[in-house]
Amino acid sequence: MKFLNLRYEFDWGIPFREPFLGWLITGVKLTLLIAAVTAVTSLLLGTLIAIMRVSRFKLLNIPAKIYVETVRNIPGLFWLLFFYFVFPQLLPFGLTDVLNQYSHYSIIAGILGLTVDNSAYVSDIVRTGIIGIPRGHIEAAVSTGLNRIQQVRYVILPEAFRTILPPLGTRMIHNFKNSSLCMAIATPELTWATQQVESITFRGLEVTFLATIFYIGLSMIMAMMIIRLERRWKIEITSITSMRE
Amino acid sequence: MEFLLEQLANWQFYLIGAYPKGALTGLVLNIVLAVLSIVIGLFFGIIFGLGRISCRRYIRHSCGLCVDVVRSTPLLMIIFWFYFFLPVVGARLPLFWCAVISLSVYAAAYQAEIVRAGVLAVPMGQMEASLSTGMTRLQALISVILPQAFKLMLPSFVSFFNSLFKSTSTVYIIGIVDLTRTGIIISQLKPNRIFAAYICMAIGFWVVCYALSLAARILEKKLGILDYESYKPEICREDLVLLPLPKTVKRFLVSRK
Repeated sequence: MKFLNLRYEFDWGIPFREPFLGWLITGVKLTLLIAAVTAVTSLLLGTLIAIMRVSRFKLLNIPAKIYVETVRNIPGLFWLLFFYFVFPQLLPFGLTDVLNQYSHYSIIAGILGLTVDNSAYVSDIVRTGIIGIPRGHIEAAVSTGLNRIQQVRYVILPEAFRTILPPLGTRMIHNFKNSSLCMAIATPELTWATQQVESITFRGLEVTFLATIFYIGLSMIMAMMIIRLERRWKIEITSITSMRE
Repeated sequence: MEFLLEQLANWQFYLIGAYPKGALTGLVLNIVLAVLSIVIGLFFGIIFGLGRISCRRYIRHSCGLCVDVVRSTPLLMIIFWFYFFLPVVGARLPLFWCAVISLSVYAAAYQAEIVRAGVLAVPMGQMEASLSTGMTRLQALISVILPQAFKLMLPSFVSFFNSLFKSTSTVYIIGIVDLTRTGIIISQLKPNRIFAAYICMAIGFWVVCYALSLAARILEKKLGILDYESYKPEICREDLVLLPLPKTVKRFLVSRK
């Protein structure tokens, strides 16, 4: 197959030949796993930090602010490298050896790095949601006798999450795309698998093409899911905005 | 601690590498990459952003498709595309230009979204008024709409530049010796200095990014567009347009009741 006078013969059999097919399938599975796990962990961590940031206690407020400012201003790639190369050495001695001998540590490091990177952005998004809740709602929650934790659990967070769903979803798509950075620390995910095929067969275009299609398709599916979810929750959002008037 | 001080005393290597004698590396290379790609990206971003709101359907949809495809591809994949694809077409570019091109493609797609949002944020009456004074659409766009839109877009551009600057650290994967690679090289040559080298790397990125985010915040305050503290989450819902989806799909999803 030759077109455009390229100096390259396409061989679409390559991605479907063993062992490459196995690598690619493992890569897809790992990409999905990393994206899903980091989405959940960064959402939890980010929400915690957002709650700390809006609290009035300086002891909670200032560390959260420092965390966000530090993480947001350093590239995500740095955090991946940090958790892979430096973090095991900071631990007490026995743990360093255990981690260095653990063959799947690169996956854990990838998850940790992406979680730290993403949680700062998530916490900023959640914070804007919390700040935007009308004062009257919190006063109403207080007057019905909810204590501080119940207010956060039953009033503040549900409302905040409804309003911030679109930016949060965009962030999660970003996080999914960022999972390709894990190849820098040799996590055997999809991008790493395509590079491995390239370095062995010198035929990178076919696998890169398939991987790109996978990334584009899944991002669009995620975007579609977010729009559906937003539409399902829309009634509550309009009621909130009308009450703010 | 003394290792850290020793590395910090070596700041010139992190900043420019061995520049006057050798190639430019380090933090300055990151800045050069980011500035070059945002300028090239801005040019194409304006073209594609205006194309996305064109009244001709074929221009609008083809521009939208290009922007959405680039926006939903990871930056690393874009870099690999140009790294593998340019030699295939016959263009053997130096690594540096390969990185600049892929970063500008990435920047162009995101800036197209910013341009589009900025132009749409200008009130419709401005266009109508300038059309009624006898301007053509192009004249109205250049002399009335775009100057106002750029004022609205400026904070977004600065914060996008911040994120693009952070993204430039990605290009170390194809072998460009930027700040990330500098830190890695030092930590590999001297394994007991690994912590100090990583801290220096982090400081380098942090200082530039923090300055940029401060600039964005001051600009937002000064222009009074989006006050950081009184940021209303309703505006977040405008982010819906930023999702990487074709317009047709969005319309289908949103308008179905």
